[in-house]
Amino acid sequence: MSTPPPAAAGVPLEPRTQCDQVAYGPIERVDIVRYAGASGDFHPIHIDEYYARRAGAPTVFAMGMHGAGFLVHAVSDWFGGPHRIRRLKIRFTSRVWPGDEIVCTGRIVTVEDGVATAALEARRHGPGPPGFDLPEEQVAIVGEADIRVSESGG
Amino acid sequence: MAEASVEFELSVERGKIREFAQAVGDDNPLFLDPDVARGAGFPDVLGPPTFTVTDLWQVPLGERLERLGLELDPARMLHAEQEYMFTRLPIAGELLRGSIRICDDVEKMGGRGGKMRFVTLETRYVDTEGDEVLIAYYTLVETAKDPGA
Repeated sequence: MSTPPPAAAGVPLEPRTQCDQVAYGPIERVDIVRYAGASGDFHPIHIDEYYARRAGAPTVFAMGMHGAGFLVHAVSDWFGGPHRIRRLKIRFTSRVWPGDEIVCTGRIVTVEDGVATAALEARRHGPGPPGFDLPEEQVAIVGEADIRVSESGG
Repeated sequence: MAEASVEFELSVERGKIREFAQAVGDDNPLFLDPDVARGAGFPDVLGPPTFTVTDLWQVPLGERLERLGLELDPARMLHAEQEYMFTRLPIAGELLRGSIRICDDVEKMGGRGGKMRFVTLETRYVDTEGDEVLIAYYTLVETAKDPGA
């Protein structure tokens, strides 16, 4: 049995460890526009109310990668820096609406050869579009990341 | 005539990194402060892990789909999944070369009977030495046509 890897951040590097929940936002329309400009994603469904309604949405909603950006921010802070992330896989499960907070959680699944694998989740939390009768909270992103947690790993 | 791959260049710039990091509320000094980045052993500030989505400025989504010969309805398209394999993060001051190709294109039956189409694009980024920096997999779904529409 090798010695346990040094902690990259405040998270004890053992399976089943829960990372500290962190909430970002709320995401407002202006933040969606800011992300559009930063990323270059100008799909009108995210920024043009008229287009969004014609496409069947109650209003505009955030780009999936915008929410993913917050989730990656959380992973980076939990594990001691963005450069430690070796692999990231995410799936978008519900849309994030203006006024929603992004609540990020993570749990360590395995730690092997200096690489931790974490299960990730980002939930939208907010009122949702007026008259749309959404639950206050829904899972918006599920994911998994491999993170190098010792200098020799990964 | 569809192209087998779409090639582009992505110049990694400090100002663009700052703008992108601010858009996801991440003020990690590794993205913002060259002195901190150098102190941590990097030549300059790092691009955040999802920074390469900014290549939409180089080749907009509609253009890449068209050049790859993919006919999809933008009003029914949703981003379903995203995956990254990192060798390292982008570094300010470098020029990355990207190459996009179709990695997967399958139809599945949707929950309400219609066909859903899943398309995965792979974008491979290399540095000026030709060494791999990261690979991104972007999966979109074209949802079934609403029979009532």
